[in-house]
Amino acid sequence: MSEPTAATGPDVEPDFDVIVVGGGIAGCVTAYRLAQAGRSVVLIERGEAPGSKNLSGGVLYSRVLEQVFPDLLTSAPIERRITRNYVQFLNATSSVGIDYQDARLAEPVNAVTVLRARLDAWLAERCEEAGVFLMPGVRVDRVIREGGRVVGVRAGDDELRAHVVVAADGVNSFVAQEAGLREKPPTHHLAVGVKAVVRLDERTVAERFHLVGDEGAAYAIVGDCTLGVGGGGFLYTNRDSLSVGVVLRLDDLVKRGLRSTDVFDHFLGHRFIAPFLEGGEIAEYGSHLVAEGGLEMVGHIHTDGMVVVGDAAGLTLNTGLTVRGMDLAAASGIAAAKGIDEALTSGDTSEAGLAGYRRELFAGFAGKDMETYAKAPAFLERTRMYEEYGLLLGDVLHSVFDHDLTPRRHLSQVVRSELKRSPVRLRDLLSDGLAGVRAL
Amino acid sequence: MKIAVAYKWAPNPQDAAVGADGSVDWSRAKPAVSEYDPVAVEVGRRLADATGAELVGLSVGGPDVASPMAKKAALSRGLDSAVVVADDALAGAGTTPTGRALAALVQRLGDVDLVLTGDSSVDAGAQMVPAVLAGALGWPALTDVVAVSGTAGDLTVERAHAGGSQVLHVTGPVVLAVAADAVVPRVPGMKDILSAGKKPTEEVPLADLAGWQTAPVEVVATAGPELKVRKGQVIDGADPAAAVTALVAALRADGVL
Repeated sequence: MSEPTAATGPDVEPDFDVIVVGGGIAGCVTAYRLAQAGRSVVLIERGEAPGSKNLSGGVLYSRVLEQVFPDLLTSAPIERRITRNYVQFLNATSSVGIDYQDARLAEPVNAVTVLRARLDAWLAERCEEAGVFLMPGVRVDRVIREGGRVVGVRAGDDELRAHVVVAADGVNSFVAQEAGLREKPPTHHLAVGVKAVVRLDERTVAERFHLVGDEGAAYAIVGDCTLGVGGGGFLYTNRDSLSVGVVLRLDDLVKRGLRSTDVFDHFLGHRFIAPFLEGGEIAEYGSHLVAEGGLEMVGHIHTDGMVVVGDAAGLTLNTGLTVRGMDLAAASGIAAAKGIDEALTSGDTSEAGLAGYRRELFAGFAGKDMETYAKAPAFLERTRMYEEYGLLLGDVLHSVFDHDLTPRRHLSQVVRSELKRSPVRLRDLLSDGLAGVRAL
Repeated sequence: MKIAVAYKWAPNPQDAAVGADGSVDWSRAKPAVSEYDPVAVEVGRRLADATGAELVGLSVGGPDVASPMAKKAALSRGLDSAVVVADDALAGAGTTPTGRALAALVQRLGDVDLVLTGDSSVDAGAQMVPAVLAGALGWPALTDVVAVSGTAGDLTVERAHAGGSQVLHVTGPVVLAVAADAVVPRVPGMKDILSAGKKPTEEVPLADLAGWQTAPVEVVATAGPELKVRKGQVIDGADPAAAVTALVAALRADGVL
């Protein structure tokens, strides 16, 4: 028997053209597209059913997934169409927000809330219809390498071989680490998300957030919600529940000696947040790692016999105003399927043969957005965002609205004097402002 | 010769929510092969291997019983083939229609002298189906079975019994409900799941089954157990000595001590 080569892969006849490890959005899209192209694909998922290991979802910018599933909005388990975005600086006793509501966001649909336990199950079903062999309840233990390339995976005593293995196993991608494609990410590139799904009835959700029909609201919150830890809070409306939680940068959390669950409890109990949740019942609760490194975390996403997609490839974006991952996952799945299909056709599944994936990814919006927002993570590490600015805004507005019978001053004077009282220096404000404009 | 194993595609109670009024919400519960049924499959597999019999899985329920995921989940645990009835009329069916439908399926299958079941279903846990199934077939049923040997139609069966065990010799067809700890079932590997995808499965239309719907037993209502009213008396433990004195006094006052 001849040694397998980097280009042609295993000498043994493989069980499948492609093995996809992980049944989230990136994995399902990759598997679905390849099955559509006539490739034999197995989708291995650790959970007993796709979605069962998923801690709900959040906001999905849906257009890209609609390219794969044109009937997404009518057939998939979508919760609400987001037409209202609320950006909030939350202080202990004051709150300043921008309430952006727009009918144009409803048609065509731009963003929707989803619960991943439901969406992933739907995606897996579509994969199965397309001919993907679904293999739930299996935890991959090892990547098999031969002749310097990836040739398959091992779980327990069993091995499966394929021309290409796709690592779609999430932020802490064990498969990509095994293959030597990724290091464990540094803590300032990681955040911990703690979230709950709070069940309310449909009417209460609509009333509390001023919503009509299936329209929904998404709140992005900074400040006291994280007790000043880098990160933020979020609140999304589902059909008859709310997804609510905090995302906390690991290094900052550790530095401040706080526990994520205490920060989470503080947020839910906040005087301006608690009324939204009143009377609700916690249906789900949990925590998860979130990649926050931006472009820096992407790094190598393909090697001989393997590609990495979705969260596993570090494809998440936090721009301060929008937090994205699911749309990038879908885009990477589309690009990976195209690159892999071309590699299989040409018979070269080496790193060079699979390079079409990276080219395709960075030619599209997903790769370009990662480049556009490359400076966002560093900007969001500037700590004033999480405490001082919210307080400053609150104090300025307090001076404007609090008619305490002292003679009124011009707004510019109010701002100057509040700035003087605040620890924020004008120099900081200008520097942060400039960095923000450049990074975002 | 065939050995049949009845299994249930049941929602996982871990995902069920019990309301304040005792009602159970199963809507978020993901289905799986009912927890104790793989034990029956494993017992059946060993017996079938020892006697050269074919091991056939039988299941009745709603449409998702026939989903590729449900079939693979069952077949990957060691069955040779599966025969299922998947119909809206049987979604969430109670023990009587379930037992009767399974009996009709056993009769339709033919050449069966042994039907194995799990101890109970993970969702309802009524422990009724083996008896209903056996009754409908006119066969004996034995529960709490921990070991089986011999060949179908001529079996030695060991049952767990209070304070010991009971060994019975059974001739003729029989329904055996296997104890949850009789054997440790195998965890399906990737190759098991792959080969499960290639195993034959037959879907029988409900209309082909006779007599399943004549149910002399009807569930009138279900209710959670009533909670006893407790006193809810809390003793402050800041001073341990004082707390002990207060606790003893309280227990004496209520006649516990």
